[in-house]
Amino acid sequence: MDARTIIDYAKSLDCVHCGLCLNTCPTYRLTGREPSSPRGRIHLMRSLAEGEIQADADFAHEMDFCLLCRHCESVCPSGVKFGALMEHTRAGLAALEKRPLHVRLARAIGFGVLLRDRGALSLAAALARVFAPARMPLRAERAYQPTLTPAEGERTSAVLMLEGCVMSEIFGGVNRATAAVLARAGCEVRATPQLFCCGSLHAHSGESSGARALAREAIEASEALCDERGAPLPLVSNSAGCGAHLKELAALFEEADPWHARAAALSARTLDFSQLLAREPQRSLLAARMRASSELAELSPIAWDDPCHLCHAQGVRREPRALLALLPGVTRVELAGSEDCCGSAGAWSLTHASESSALLEGKLEALRASGARTLVTSNPGCHMQWDAGVRRAGLDVRVLHLAELLELATRN
Amino acid sequence: MDPGLLRGLREILGEAGLVERRNQRVPYECDGLAFARQLPELVLLPRNTDETARCMRLLDEAHVPIVARGAGTGLSGGATPVEHGVLIGTSRMRAILEIDERNRFARVQAGVVNVDLSHAVEQLGLFYAPDPSSQKACTLGGNVAENSGGPHCFRHGTTTRHVLGLVIVTPQGEVLDLSKARAEPEGLDLVGFFTGSEGMLGVATELTLRLTQTPPVVETWLALFRELDEACECVSDLIRARAEPSAIEILDQLTIEAVEASVLRAGYPKEAGAVLLLELEGRESEVAAQARILEPLVRARGAFELRRARDPAERTRLWAGRKGAYGAMGRVAPDLYVCDAVVPRRKLRELVRETTAICEARGLKVANVFHAGDGNLHPNISYDRRDKEELARVLDAGDAILKACLAAGGTLSGEHGIGLEKIGAMEWLFTREDLAAMCRAREAWDPECRMNPGKLIPMRACMETRT
Ligand SMILES: Cc1cc2nc3c(=O)[nH]c(=O)nc-3n(C[C@H](O)[C@H](O)[C@H](O)COP(=O)(O)OP(=O)(O)OC[C@H]3O[C@@H](n4cnc5c(N)ncnc54)[C@H](O)[C@@H]3O)c2cc1C
Ligand code: SF4
Ligand code: SF4
Repeated sequence: MDARTIIDYAKSLDCVHCGLCLNTCPTYRLTGREPSSPRGRIHLMRSLAEGEIQADADFAHEMDFCLLCRHCESVCPSGVKFGALMEHTRAGLAALEKRPLHVRLARAIGFGVLLRDRGALSLAAALARVFAPARMPLRAERAYQPTLTPAEGERTSAVLMLEGCVMSEIFGGVNRATAAVLARAGCEVRATPQLFCCGSLHAHSGESSGARALAREAIEASEALCDERGAPLPLVSNSAGCGAHLKELAALFEEADPWHARAAALSARTLDFSQLLAREPQRSLLAARMRASSELAELSPIAWDDPCHLCHAQGVRREPRALLALLPGVTRVELAGSEDCCGSAGAWSLTHASESSALLEGKLEALRASGARTLVTSNPGCHMQWDAGVRRAGLDVRVLHLAELLELATRN
Repeated sequence: MDPGLLRGLREILGEAGLVERRNQRVPYECDGLAFARQLPELVLLPRNTDETARCMRLLDEAHVPIVARGAGTGLSGGATPVEHGVLIGTSRMRAILEIDERNRFARVQAGVVNVDLSHAVEQLGLFYAPDPSSQKACTLGGNVAENSGGPHCFRHGTTTRHVLGLVIVTPQGEVLDLSKARAEPEGLDLVGFFTGSEGMLGVATELTLRLTQTPPVVETWLALFRELDEACECVSDLIRARAEPSAIEILDQLTIEAVEASVLRAGYPKEAGAVLLLELEGRESEVAAQARILEPLVRARGAFELRRARDPAERTRLWAGRKGAYGAMGRVAPDLYVCDAVVPRRKLRELVRETTAICEARGLKVANVFHAGDGNLHPNISYDRRDKEELARVLDAGDAILKACLAAGGTLSGEHGIGLEKIGAMEWLFTREDLAAMCRAREAWDPECRMNPGKLIPMRACMETRT
């Protein structure tokens, strides 16, 4: 395989080298090194494609060092599709096997076994609770959703809920809360064990064949569940990373591939749960059920931290804030740098532990300054990262998923 | 690179402060002038004045050429490395050292990003006035070196009006502390001399900068014209009538389209042939008085719409659109060549026409944005640097535009500097004697011409002064 072909060359040409992305990039801010910036990484990709440099270990290192937070994409006036560029490059690197053996072995286990099978993942999660408790959130809980949760009150629609791999192993409680809130907003909530892992972690890491296999499974599972008129149900995700991946699923397949169109159709049906709830009639139904309580008051003030894959990858910023504004008796404070990455980024926090801590430190500083007593997020990786950080810093702050907070406020 | 020298530098900077291996150095081969490329031998990333000075002493002993680099957003090749030379980057010097609210100044390290300073003093009701369109990325050290301008410099003046003091490391590695000279400098105004010297006299490591009070009322107005000509004429009308907005910017139709197609989506109507962006600031009564002058003038010039930004969010969007215009043009072609042309304001309209004609004659696509208040025009020519023949046409057009500016009584650069890009043009504007005099001033600091050689002042002129 020619190393030059691992780059999506046409996409790399969109970069005009203006540098407006530099200051948003966590790895550039951390190191001050141009090759660890978006512009630098694109420069390297383009140089590789033009035969100026080799795809050596240094090249692979810079690509792996990127968090894929996509902050750069949010600010790029030239419309560079950085996420797609990077996933493409990583897939190429995986094919070239430029990484050291131990890394490849760990990836094979992670992507080939654990994230392909609920039983294997469940076992791994159990082991992690015993051997690495500091990395597990305080309220880790495994739970799988029933195949049907009926709407409370009048049924206004039906949705399919993505339980997710990590979510159901560690954040079972969040899934339960999500289903409950959706039900209270008039949605009948369906779930299916056939829809297990969306494959986003595979795609981010360049395991494209694994990502494609999981995508096909997800597409088939979602197509099988239809409403009364035979149309597939909207797919709702409460994990920003999964939602972002599902919304761009077609990128995994060549345009001529029939799966491309099916993937695009699934993307068009995919919503972050906050998007669905901020619409009518869901919003009004939820608002009508909101009750102030001492439990809720104790959480105030709250701060929303935008998960990267919600704000940068999906462009969803307004809806979570609109929902939080419904909470009675709760003040919301802004978190400085709420669109900056917390350093979780899937497996990145494990492979780059010290850099990850450094990024988290900046976020914790902003949290302290905000005076918030509750930090709200909606992505499992960020949730774990914040949980660990708050514990380490000894802060009296609760970390909650948006769904948990909404559930509490609408509980009767 | 000499192993002894490398060892010495590593001792000072540690691994994190050196960029050594080829695949890591490659992204440093150019700045915003992307077609000019040279791989640096080594990149040094010191964290403070002391580390910088120690490195520069070693480099002085070894006679190694040096190029300073901030964020590499410069558009004239000022930060392009030179052969056998090292880069000294300020990207790890990002600390704000002191904020003096009462005396309204800040002391910062040179690598602090322009907008980060304004953010840091926002709560105090202050801001740092010079606002280059690249302000979200460019460093204050780079601004000082280029004497950068920005939309609001029409009212507040360019960078040089805001530099109160500097700490400079000379090419020999000596630390020159000019930060005490806050009021009137005693003797020669070296701070003023250094500002705008394009990295030729040393590396600035600390800057003392003036902070400006945030005006109580700021209004952004948007005037839409069918024709670019009308917008240009309107600017002259405004200035003649002494309506003194703090910023006067124009965007042409191609630019509007590109901005509206980008993430910036500023809300400029696509049917407009030109957008005139105006900002009024001051006390409420002042702003109202300016608006009263402005409205009839703009309408009389044929604006089909005139409106005020409704809220801060819309203001921010309108300005983000203007400031991201260059990047947004990246949608049109892989590369962009930004000319930086200055003419007396009343000649603006003529020059816009001429620029367009020059580009059309060479089969090139051009979009115009400009700091109209300053008579500073930025024709953005799109091209693909892989096409050598097209690149040659672009450079030829750039030369023709410059010559047209000079003929109209303008000058070589409004704010992007001479750098590598316009070094040849220096000989159009200055006599040999002029250039030789500049060389002597340079050599007083740097007898070997080791700092940023081949930029700003033609080396040939320097050779001549020596023989
Ligand atoms: C999208 C875009 C918009 C722009 N808009 C404007 C604008 O509105 N107005 C404007 O004036 N410019 C503008 N520019 C040009 C550029 O941003 C400015 O020239 C800026 O000041 C460069 O800062 P930098 O940190 O990127 O410096 P660099 O590009 O890294 O360096 C520029 C020059 O300064 C020297 N230098 C850098 N740091 C130091 C230091 N600490 N000590 C000594 N010398 C140093 C370098 O050697 C080089 O000669 C724009 C550029 C882009 C890409
Ligand atoms: S902002 Fe976009 S075009 Fe500009 S350097 Fe970054 S990626 Fe390239
Ligand atoms: S995705 Fe995030 S870490 Fe990667 S280059 Fe962009 S901003 Fe930097």
